[in-house]
Amino acid sequence: MLLRRQACVLLGLFLISAALISCSRSPASSAGSIPRTADGKPDFSGIWQVRNRAAADLEDHVARHQAPAGKGVVQGGPIPYQPWAAAKKIENARNRATADPLATCYMPGVPRIMYMEFPFQIFQTPDHIAMTFEWSQVHRTIYTNGAPAPDGIDFWMGDSRGRWEGDTLVVDVKNHNDRTWFDLAGNFHSEALHVVERYTMRDVNTIDYEATIDDPKVFTRTWTIKMPLHRQTEADRIFEYQCQAEAEEASGAFEPDPKTWYPGPSVTVQTPAEWKDVQTVWKAPAPKGTIKRMPDGKPDLQGYFMPDGGGGNYGLGKHEQDFLTPEGRGVIVDPPDGTLPMQAWAKAEAESRKAPERGYDDPTAHCFVAGVPRSMYVPSPLQILQPPGYLVILHERMSWRTIPLDGRPHLSDHLRLWQGDSIGRWEGDTLVIETTNLNGKTWLNEVGEIVSHAERVVERLTPIDVDTIHYEATVSDPLVYTRPWTIAFALNRQKDELLEVACHEDNQDLQHLKDIRNEARAKAKGQS
Amino acid sequence: MKLFRLMAVLLVTIAAVPVAAHHSFSAEYDFNKPLKLKGKVTEMKWANPHAWIYIDVAGKDNKVEKWAWETGGANALYRRGWRKEDLVAGTVLVIDGYQARNGSKTANATSITFENGKRLFAGSSSQNSATK
Repeated sequence: MLLRRQACVLLGLFLISAALISCSRSPASSAGSIPRTADGKPDFSGIWQVRNRAAADLEDHVARHQAPAGKGVVQGGPIPYQPWAAAKKIENARNRATADPLATCYMPGVPRIMYMEFPFQIFQTPDHIAMTFEWSQVHRTIYTNGAPAPDGIDFWMGDSRGRWEGDTLVVDVKNHNDRTWFDLAGNFHSEALHVVERYTMRDVNTIDYEATIDDPKVFTRTWTIKMPLHRQTEADRIFEYQCQAEAEEASGAFEPDPKTWYPGPSVTVQTPAEWKDVQTVWKAPAPKGTIKRMPDGKPDLQGYFMPDGGGGNYGLGKHEQDFLTPEGRGVIVDPPDGTLPMQAWAKAEAESRKAPERGYDDPTAHCFVAGVPRSMYVPSPLQILQPPGYLVILHERMSWRTIPLDGRPHLSDHLRLWQGDSIGRWEGDTLVIETTNLNGKTWLNEVGEIVSHAERVVERLTPIDVDTIHYEATVSDPLVYTRPWTIAFALNRQKDELLEVACHEDNQDLQHLKDIRNEARAKAKGQS
Repeated sequence: MKLFRLMAVLLVTIAAVPVAAHHSFSAEYDFNKPLKLKGKVTEMKWANPHAWIYIDVAGKDNKVEKWAWETGGANALYRRGWRKEDLVAGTVLVIDGYQARNGSKTANATSITFENGKRLFAGSSSQNSATK
């Protein structure tokens, strides 16, 4: 037995050394050692990040405030600007503290997002390669299904269509706007930008990344940047950096709510034991037709979906239209009376949030992410992907949820996130997702229905025919409610791909809402 | 021809533009300040989460007032066949809606009427919404 184990170890060592030798001899001969998907393509799945200073400046650069010195990544000489554009670049650099789109947390665009000092995760299916970024919950989808790019619309993050050239993924990124930069040094482009990215796996932990930049309005010729992306082998998830939310919290523009925000490790909230029984009273909905299945036999939930949220974004219970607030049919299925079982203080708080001067306090008015379960019923489409080991939800309103299905434990209680920590598992044909570690900063809707940092959510997604997923979410929040409650509605398949909602970037409403709040505060102060 | 195409698109689709509010319209706009203004389009700002139509309105003493009208989001308009260049400058519109509570020359569009009398919903709020 021991001998057999030793033989195995020896054989293993031999194989590893053979692989190492073959890697060091010729990169081409290492092709066999890279991970591959079931359909034989190089498998880029994983968490990646650069280890360079390209985010500060694509060219060789000295150190400046908050921009360490570094070597350039531009191949073969300086960026070939047209004369007017070279002058503009110098002006950009001079004004970068305010003129850089990132200084106001605008989306970085492509390729800049690829070499910022924030990790991102790649999820790969035969038809789509999704990238979810730590920076502000931005995501990209590279379509590898042959579908054409849309015309007549531009995006901060461009439109990405990929194809395979041998083991290299080649991505055409078009439909850019002219509002993003390449780096903190003011290197810029116009809306005529066309980026061709090339992703080639050098070894299991390295992707050679290359982007060729073409913009005839700004440059005299095409030019190329090149750098490795490194696998973040120690990370099993990426978390979040909500750029605008952090900026507004730091400046005081978005104020903490001590009633709901996570106060820190000093407070522990226990969910009453009897609530757990209420959560498990659940019967799977009967299928209404055939459902699609993955090769492993699990339901295939993939596609683009529009929630039939029943007006939940304007009140989860049944309600009439109130001025410009739409009516709702009511999506609460438990308690049976269809109302939220709020504690007395929460009823009073929810009532006060309906006042016009509280409109400013809704995080989504600031374009912050909607949280769970609200992201599932805001009236905006979502895309579901099922790469191996995960369910990934991409929201058109630029946020994502990546849900591992490997039974890993939840995060430590102290680590709180806008979208929480979601872990999934299959129960028959139902995908059950448990979400914890929420930060208590989100509202359930525009009328201010409440959740706190004690919120835990169990969602159930059950396909009932090829075009419909029955969605239920049970919310347990002992700080706000007298018992758990459940909402239910359908996610309906739509043909349209996701577009991109840039919200904060063109948010003209927030200032109005702030004026209304400030006026009310001034009035209250005058009266006191 | 362009206007004809726009009209055709609008007639078929605008009534069904979904609500995609990211904030409370009831908080931002004033129920007590309903508004109906006729003016010439100067610009359409193609944006999310809401697009904006800017019009010049002949105010008191024939002074031109510049008004900003909030409508449904660019993605909803795109999915219904609108393109950026469709609403050309100079188009005369009558827009119904509500003025912002902060007193600025900003309003929420509940319907748009073209010169030929066709009445069309702008869809930024609850009216005639297919999806909420």
